[in-house]
Amino acid sequence: MGDALVAIGGAFLAAGIFGRFGRRVGLPTIPFFMAAGILFGPNTPGLTVIEHPEDLELLATLGLILLLFHLGLEFSLGDLVDGGSKLLLTGVTCLALTVGGGLLFGFGLGWGTPEALVIAGAVGISSSAIVTKLLVELKRLANPESRLILGIVVVEDIFLALYLALLQPVLGDAEGLGDSVLQFSKAFGFLLALAATARWGARFVGKMIDTPDDELLTVCFVGLAVLGAGAAEELGVSEAIGAFGVGLVLAESPAAERIEHLVLPLRDAFAAAFFFAFGLTIDPGDVGHVAVPVAVAVALTLVLNLLKGVVAARLNGFRRNAAANIAFTTVGRGEFSLVLATLAATAGLDARVGPFIALYVLVLAVAGPILTTQSRRLGRWVMPERLFPPPANGQTPEVATTPA
Amino acid sequence: MNQPPLSSVSDQALPGIGHRYELRSVDGGRVVVVIHHSGRRDLYAFTPTGEEPDAVVTFTDSQARTLGAILGGAYFKPAVVEEIEAVIGGLLIDWIKLEPQARGVGKTIAELEIRQTTGITVVAILRDHTPVISPQPEERFQAGDQLVVIGRQEDLPRFERHVARADQGVSDG
Repeated sequence: MGDALVAIGGAFLAAGIFGRFGRRVGLPTIPFFMAAGILFGPNTPGLTVIEHPEDLELLATLGLILLLFHLGLEFSLGDLVDGGSKLLLTGVTCLALTVGGGLLFGFGLGWGTPEALVIAGAVGISSSAIVTKLLVELKRLANPESRLILGIVVVEDIFLALYLALLQPVLGDAEGLGDSVLQFSKAFGFLLALAATARWGARFVGKMIDTPDDELLTVCFVGLAVLGAGAAEELGVSEAIGAFGVGLVLAESPAAERIEHLVLPLRDAFAAAFFFAFGLTIDPGDVGHVAVPVAVAVALTLVLNLLKGVVAARLNGFRRNAAANIAFTTVGRGEFSLVLATLAATAGLDARVGPFIALYVLVLAVAGPILTTQSRRLGRWVMPERLFPPPANGQTPEVATTPA
Repeated sequence: MNQPPLSSVSDQALPGIGHRYELRSVDGGRVVVVIHHSGRRDLYAFTPTGEEPDAVVTFTDSQARTLGAILGGAYFKPAVVEEIEAVIGGLLIDWIKLEPQARGVGKTIAELEIRQTTGITVVAILRDHTPVISPQPEERFQAGDQLVVIGRQEDLPRFERHVARADQGVSDG
């Protein structure tokens, strides 16, 4: 028992110290947690904190569950409706660009169809955590385009949940078209059932766990989240969808706002274990074999993001600075790409997917924030001014839509 | 840039972060306030021509409330109220704040024999925004109480010595 505790404590501490270093130089924590896992894992020389990644499996799974649970909890249809059809149009166009490009790239690799689908998601969806943190820390929340960026991230989050359902047949080892349709229907039906519970049963569920006592509320929502994830897994749907669904239900309950606060420290701790555990499974030797595909993927992502920035800015009447901010702020990849990589590994897909996504996330989670600090200057270099004709009335359309 | 008309506030939700409010200043500049779900407040100030904020400051929830009260004029008022003395035909109404070390803190009106000793009557106690009107003799003073007193002007100094002054062996004089 003692040595297991020393290992787990060492893992958390190593992740924490690496993360602190990252914060000091202004970078997100996710790549550093993962790097700590790689360095203190069994695949690298030097100190090995955890010999077998399985030792951390339960904690890492809790991290994955809490990440998705929090995502479901934060999800608000109201935010989407407030943004209007223009936000939806912008978000869907951006997703079509990045995920579509990722899908073509995935097929181009020739690792197989399931692998291509996983890579499309990992390449196409940016990290909410990195985007939000960047906007806060670079003090850009007052910029008019920041709201659009956050809106695009919301659309991406919803897409992720649907995409997980779509991936179910791929990850669930379905055989033949009929089985695939069945598995997809099951996953989608599970999401629908939970969405219906959120719509009509949230009051009941809320009543069941709502108590003015923070301690009891925490115990109850952790129970529900883990139970939902486990039930989903038992039904042959991934635990990620289950946890997301439970979050979706609780988001509609009166206790939602308190749960959002209470879950944060839990999520942070266990998500760190998740990123660390993912790092443990990565052998730097394998990373060398995927260096070329990763370099291509990174270049492709940058090009697609620039396009995304231009398209989103044009659709919303923003100028070049805003377009550059949209393009570079959303370059960071993180938690969702790693969730997809973990699901792919569990499903026994091509062993190159894990190292590929690991290196890809490592590069973009570090490069994204650095590029974002220089977004204005970079925008002047790579985006021609003539792409952004000044609006006829000399003002951004945003003014017209802002209620007085 | 986004410029709502004067004296109006534009309000937008920032998904995952909180709310963003924007208003214009008289000189044509703009102020954007972002309220985070965590309670943190960011305040961005823009000059009339500026696209980038000239200053960004961050407050905690309680600091922001203090700033809001100062801007709204509410913060300054208690100090004004303390100095108000209303004298109507020789009758005086005054507000007296009990500092933590005041003699009267922790004692009841009866124990202090306020009316007999000083000739002043305590008509109300303002305590944590809930006034105690016509306090009973058993009412015990607490630090921070704001006493509303009524009496003759010449009796007030005695009341202040007896109840409000710091307890440092001052005799009942």
